[in-house]
Amino acid sequence: MKLMSPETPVIEIKNLVRRYGRTDAVNGLNLRVEAGRCYGFFGRNGAGKTTTIKCLLNLLRPTTGEAKLFGLSPARHEVSVKSRLAYVPDQVAFYPWMTVRDTLDYCASFRAHWNRDTEGALVGQFRLDTRQKTSHLSKGQRTQLALITAICPEPELLVLDEPTSGLDPIVRREFIQTVIGAYQEGEPGRRTVFVSTHLISEFEGLIDEFTIIEAGRDVLTLQADVARERYQKIYARFETEPAGIDLAGARVLRQQGREIELVVNGNAGDVLDRLKARSPETLTAEALSLEEIFVTTLQPEGAVA
Amino acid sequence: MRFQLSFKSGKPVYLQLVDQVKAAAASGAMRPGEPLPSIRPLAEELRVNRNTVAKAYAELESQRVIETVAGKGCFIRATSSPFKKDVRLKLLASEIDEAVVEAHHLQIARPDFLRLAEDRFDAFQDKRARAGNP
Repeated sequence: MKLMSPETPVIEIKNLVRRYGRTDAVNGLNLRVEAGRCYGFFGRNGAGKTTTIKCLLNLLRPTTGEAKLFGLSPARHEVSVKSRLAYVPDQVAFYPWMTVRDTLDYCASFRAHWNRDTEGALVGQFRLDTRQKTSHLSKGQRTQLALITAICPEPELLVLDEPTSGLDPIVRREFIQTVIGAYQEGEPGRRTVFVSTHLISEFEGLIDEFTIIEAGRDVLTLQADVARERYQKIYARFETEPAGIDLAGARVLRQQGREIELVVNGNAGDVLDRLKARSPETLTAEALSLEEIFVTTLQPEGAVA
Repeated sequence: MRFQLSFKSGKPVYLQLVDQVKAAAASGAMRPGEPLPSIRPLAEELRVNRNTVAKAYAELESQRVIETVAGKGCFIRATSSPFKKDVRLKLLASEIDEAVVEAHHLQIARPDFLRLAEDRFDAFQDKRARAGNP
């Protein structure tokens, strides 16, 4: 097995294309995830997130382009790649006749390493009954079990595909806290998370870099802190209607009588100066959340947020 | 120590943590020698990346606001700055400049600004006195 140099990205996708018949599910996607990152992969339903993940896991072959994990092809080095990652899909399925205990032992049998202490701690924390058959578990409990089977091998990469959709808020919260706490325990530099979701606000604090995918292409890749600094929503109210005000470089969400609401991308200072020159009664600027950035990026120009 | 994070401020999350610890130390809400929460529980509680908390603590350490004791965690340091006074004044001046610019746009005149600065000093002093740390 080739050794990974520190600069080798954990995930590298170059011009990935995957067609189903005549449909281009993924159509020229590029992205790169460095080790130790928590990377968000955001897109609407049908944008190509799951197809991309399936290409990474060698569940689908790319039509053209490449998807590499740890610098290796997931098709040619399937075993060595898969031994270093764990995957929690949207729909979790276990053998229904197995108990929770059987399922944990079964999953552990495929792994070179399995942290029993973490297993015990998480089973206790989630209050799972190990004698219960997996067919009797709720959706939330099945997801919790899947998360335990993903974390105990202490993989270098954790791939989460819409992990919290359909879960109640308490289970979601516990899920995310577990990823932060139990998974990132140990060597944070060697714990990479790749999470695909459209429930962006839940993961806001965890994400340090993200890519927005639309129609199979990456449309925006940014670090979360940079994104929140760059995208701002500005609200201004004037004494009288500000006739002929120059709003170039801003996207007007609403302009109604004395009030203006705008979104700016990277030129907040400039736009704020022009507004200040008109002596507004009120002027506020706040960062957009990652979810709002997602909506702004994918909304057709001129649409109202 | 309770932290309040906002993803709306536009300020990087780690800097919000830095500023809040510095404010707590200045107001006496945290006293020298008192421990900061450890990284893992704090990250879980705030639901932020552990790297974010680690980065904030590293920044606080480089600014000598806190110190790390191996195997024990991070603690608030007694106030001390590695910089000479003129450097410290210069650092503060740039912060004040921002406030002066804001004051201009909010049409706050100089006497009101200075009175407010006095008030804020008093407020912090009160807090420190109430925290039993004159």
